[in-house]
Amino acid sequence: MSVIVFVEHDAGTIKKKNFEAVHYASGIAQKMGTTVTAVILGIVDNAEIEKLGAYGAQKVLHVEDSRLGELHPRAYTSALLTAIEKEGGKIIITLNDINGRAVAPRVAAKLKAGLVVGALTYPDMDKGFVIKKAVYSGKAFAYVNITSDKKVIMLMPNTFPITETTGKTVIEKLVVDFSGKDFGIKVNEVSKVTGEVSLSDASLVVSGGRGMKGRENWYLIEDLAKELGAATACSRPVSDADWRPHHEHVGQTGGTIRPDLYIAVGISGAIQHLAGVNGSKTIVVINKDPEAPFFKAANYGVVGDAMEVLPRLTEAVKKFKQHK
Amino acid sequence: MNDIETVKALKGGEFLIRETAADSVFIPEEWNEEQQMIAETCVNFLAQHVKPNLNRIDEQEEGLMSHLMDEAGALGLLGVSVPEEYGGFGKDFKTSMLVTEKLGAGNSFSVAFSAHSGIGTLPILYYGNDAQKQKYIPKLASGELKGAYCLTEPSSGSDANSGKARARLSEDGTHYLITGQKMWITNAGFADVFTVFAKIDDDENLSAFIVEKDFEGITLNAEEHKMGIKGSSTRQVFFNDCKVPVENLLSDRQNGFKIAVNILNIGRMKLGGGTVGASKEVISQAVHYANEREQFGRAISKYGAIKYKLAQQAILTYASESAVYRASQNMEEATEMLVASGLDETNAKLKGTEQFAIEAAIIKVHSSETLDYVVDEGVQIYGGMGYSAEAPMDRAYRDSRINRIFEGTNEINRMLTVDMMLKRALKGDLDLMGPAQKVAGELMSIPDFGAAEEGNLFGKEKKYIANFKKAILMVAGGAVQKLMAQLGKEQEVLMNLADMLIELYVSESLQLRVEKLVSMRGEDSCKEQLDIMRVYINDAAEKIAKAGKEALNYFAEGDEKKMMLMGLKRYTKTEDINSTQARRNIAAKLIAENKYCF
Amino acid sequence: MKILVCISQVPDTSTKVVLKDNSTTIENAGVSYIINPYDEWYALIRAIELKESGIASDVDLVTVGKANTEPVIRKALALGGDKAIRIDAESTDPYLTAVYIAEYAKSMDYDLILCGKESIDYNNGSVGSMLAELLDMDYIGFATEIKIEGNTAVVKREIEGGEETDSCKFPLVISCQKGVAEARIANMRGIMAARTRPLTVITPTVDDALTSILSYELPPAKAGVRLIDPADMDELVELLHAEAKVI
Repeated sequence: MSVIVFVEHDAGTIKKKNFEAVHYASGIAQKMGTTVTAVILGIVDNAEIEKLGAYGAQKVLHVEDSRLGELHPRAYTSALLTAIEKEGGKIIITLNDINGRAVAPRVAAKLKAGLVVGALTYPDMDKGFVIKKAVYSGKAFAYVNITSDKKVIMLMPNTFPITETTGKTVIEKLVVDFSGKDFGIKVNEVSKVTGEVSLSDASLVVSGGRGMKGRENWYLIEDLAKELGAATACSRPVSDADWRPHHEHVGQTGGTIRPDLYIAVGISGAIQHLAGVNGSKTIVVINKDPEAPFFKAANYGVVGDAMEVLPRLTEAVKKFKQHK
Repeated sequence: MNDIETVKALKGGEFLIRETAADSVFIPEEWNEEQQMIAETCVNFLAQHVKPNLNRIDEQEEGLMSHLMDEAGALGLLGVSVPEEYGGFGKDFKTSMLVTEKLGAGNSFSVAFSAHSGIGTLPILYYGNDAQKQKYIPKLASGELKGAYCLTEPSSGSDANSGKARARLSEDGTHYLITGQKMWITNAGFADVFTVFAKIDDDENLSAFIVEKDFEGITLNAEEHKMGIKGSSTRQVFFNDCKVPVENLLSDRQNGFKIAVNILNIGRMKLGGGTVGASKEVISQAVHYANEREQFGRAISKYGAIKYKLAQQAILTYASESAVYRASQNMEEATEMLVASGLDETNAKLKGTEQFAIEAAIIKVHSSETLDYVVDEGVQIYGGMGYSAEAPMDRAYRDSRINRIFEGTNEINRMLTVDMMLKRALKGDLDLMGPAQKVAGELMSIPDFGAAEEGNLFGKEKKYIANFKKAILMVAGGAVQKLMAQLGKEQEVLMNLADMLIELYVSESLQLRVEKLVSMRGEDSCKEQLDIMRVYINDAAEKIAKAGKEALNYFAEGDEKKMMLMGLKRYTKTEDINSTQARRNIAAKLIAENKYCF
Repeated sequence: MKILVCISQVPDTSTKVVLKDNSTTIENAGVSYIINPYDEWYALIRAIELKESGIASDVDLVTVGKANTEPVIRKALALGGDKAIRIDAESTDPYLTAVYIAEYAKSMDYDLILCGKESIDYNNGSVGSMLAELLDMDYIGFATEIKIEGNTAVVKREIEGGEETDSCKFPLVISCQKGVAEARIANMRGIMAARTRPLTVITPTVDDALTSILSYELPPAKAGVRLIDPADMDELVELLHAEAKVI
């Protein structure tokens, strides 16, 4: 009856957001008086897997199959379904991220389990099984009640602070009877951008809009991001004008992010853009137009020309880090 | 009001002497799904291709405007009302008006678009023979060819028939050789086909020719430096023994002036659509800005002075729009009736258009002056930013101004309004005498102080409008009697009469629109529209009274003057309304919707 | 090759969310509806491109919705597509939506099913993946490029911190995002053709929803911006460190 949590890893390294998923599963398990079983797929060292114990996984089922280093949604689904059946799991936790979205809905459809995508709270079990999630890309929140017996929850990353405990975990190998169909997708080529912070994971983001005036000025955004260890993002007009690659576009028709700090430079703050970023914990807006609507959604505002303010801010961050 | 007959199909100019049933007018709230999709395509086109490039357009970046026309052509927007047999989409006039309205928010682009699809295409479409149409129209409809229209000359603007351009037949009889100078030619810089007006030899009247840019003997002057619509190509075009094949004579010899006048009639009505579209866009921007801009801790849209401006912008625009689509529908119906009576489609279109030339002139004046008000207050609402070239009001303000000048200045159009009305009366096409005599008789009798029809939501306004008609018939009748043949030279009086007619036509169009709207949606969902109607008509009464008084004070004398001034007062009397509250209600809706929303 | 494109109707992106009925519903009066941008700009347009280049023989559209979704369906048909199917049910729960579409699609032999990466109203992005499970198909999510080579789809898709190229034999479901195609504007020809393209309404076998939305909530208003002197960025850094605790 334990709570099942799907744990991803990046070539054998488990990331913070996956610990957060385990931590979240553990919170639910405690409420229900049960335990957490994590499922991890592919080639990962036991030492790495054991870290999950500190976040509340009493047991880890490890499907040690080298083919699972790539995303194969059907194979992942088969593996998770085997684990769920073995553990008698009724509550399944994944992250609301690229891999989560390829797997969790499949599992939910197979189990006829109600699904919540992008959970922001623990389930409120007094009212049923009610979870808060963002809708309209953050313009509102919905309280969704899962009415089915089995439940799949996709947690929004960077929602809960996590702390390590002294908990330990037991690793069990799980053998899954894969079928040929499970590997129908052939991965031909993988290209990863190295040396940059990935936008969806980033806790700090520096983002530029039309006010940057042209792609030739982007070094100012990049310099600040580098100094902060932040990812870079942009508004829709900027990606439409091909100043920046489209995966950097955040907003209602681009990516939705919720970093700890979002610095918006030269972005006026149209409702569509705000929708994608208003889950950010702290927002800094730099804009030369004091009427820019973004200031209304900001915690800190700087009314000034980006070309002058950005180098100063980068310098100030550098100074701060040297003194720390 | 039994002395004014209600008819279903109104003839041009008849609005002065008849009543119209509300269910017979077309109102923009009736656009069907397909028309809405077409409108959306126009809006998307502007948003994607035009708005992001307004600066580049105004800098006349090489090839950009021509490219934008190609893009519009690829979407089919240049051939909306061109018949399908000539590669168009065969949509009705109203639909092409809708396209003109939506693209009217595109600043200089809208000028290039209107010139191409109106004066650039229509002369050939309406007056060309089949070979000419087959040769040019499909390519104009697709945008492969771009059109321009060469009428105005340095010494002949408003007086078009006085042009100096001359054409003579070549010795071998295969070509006309055109020589002359044409000025203010829109799209000249990239046009492939020009409709050129010139007199053949010593003809009394102009003839029209289809001239291709590659014919010998055409040179272009540099781009004009203009106050606004800077992105629109405007040049002088010189013809120096330009060789035009005889088969490119458009219509018959000496038919050019008629062509020019008729094309202008359509152009004037289209200008109405375009300026309404521009007004709506400016209002949306102004409302948006007023909602964002804070002073003394509140959005400026919360202040009454700003609310007044926003409401007034919307009132005038909604009223103008009512007239534009009412007349568009009337014109279309007149054309259909002529076709039904056996006339061919082209001639029916021309006759139908000609019939509504008065309404076209009225619409041209009202809508262009509305846009000028809207942009002026737009600048004001933006305050300091309104004067900055970084905000959109600067361009809107400059671009608006030409609308009162081209397609016949507003002064020419005002005079035409009265002139055409009186000419029709003289010819017996329009019975003004009977109704005018009735009004004169009424002046002598005991005034009818009867209240408006009880229980009719529009009773008061209908009564006001019927009275406006009486006021105009009285003043115009008096002017004709007193000034007789001199009236044509008393331009101030003509302006007065035109203003009265304009206010009448727009008031009535607005009242009919709101009445029909209420019958469609119910009174509760039309509160703001009712407010718009009441405020507009109350203001119109004052304008009519003022213009009438000026005219009477000039030409009438003694007891007769006294009597007519009394009559005027009676015919322009309205009950007081709380127009401040009404404007606040209208503004509140605009502010809540954050855009023009009527 | 037959393509099915799943489209959904969503409120226009400029919509301000207003709650009513004690916050149990989102006000729909005055809201204008559009085709979900990811469905329209990328999935639908790519399908149309494949048809235009002769690769696809059929492009059908499907939506789950009541009669009020028909204007949006015809807008989609104005962009292209041979016919549309409206499954006459409220689209409230992603599972139900997927079940209804699967019920229709299972006997239709589609080679490729395209959808947007998510709808911009409920942001679930799960229908495509569920549909793949229910139809026993493969699924590739977050595609940024789709090419067809014979009976194989070659798909570039987003992965964490980069992209990968996958290939997969038909049939499969692909969810699309920016890069797959360029948004188009409906042209006059398409708008006029939309009327003549069939729109079939089918009634689904009713199933139970697995979730329900009990209530909504609007984000709390920000306390108000604190303006920093543009000349003093040290102060901003200090505040971000000491007050906001984000660096």
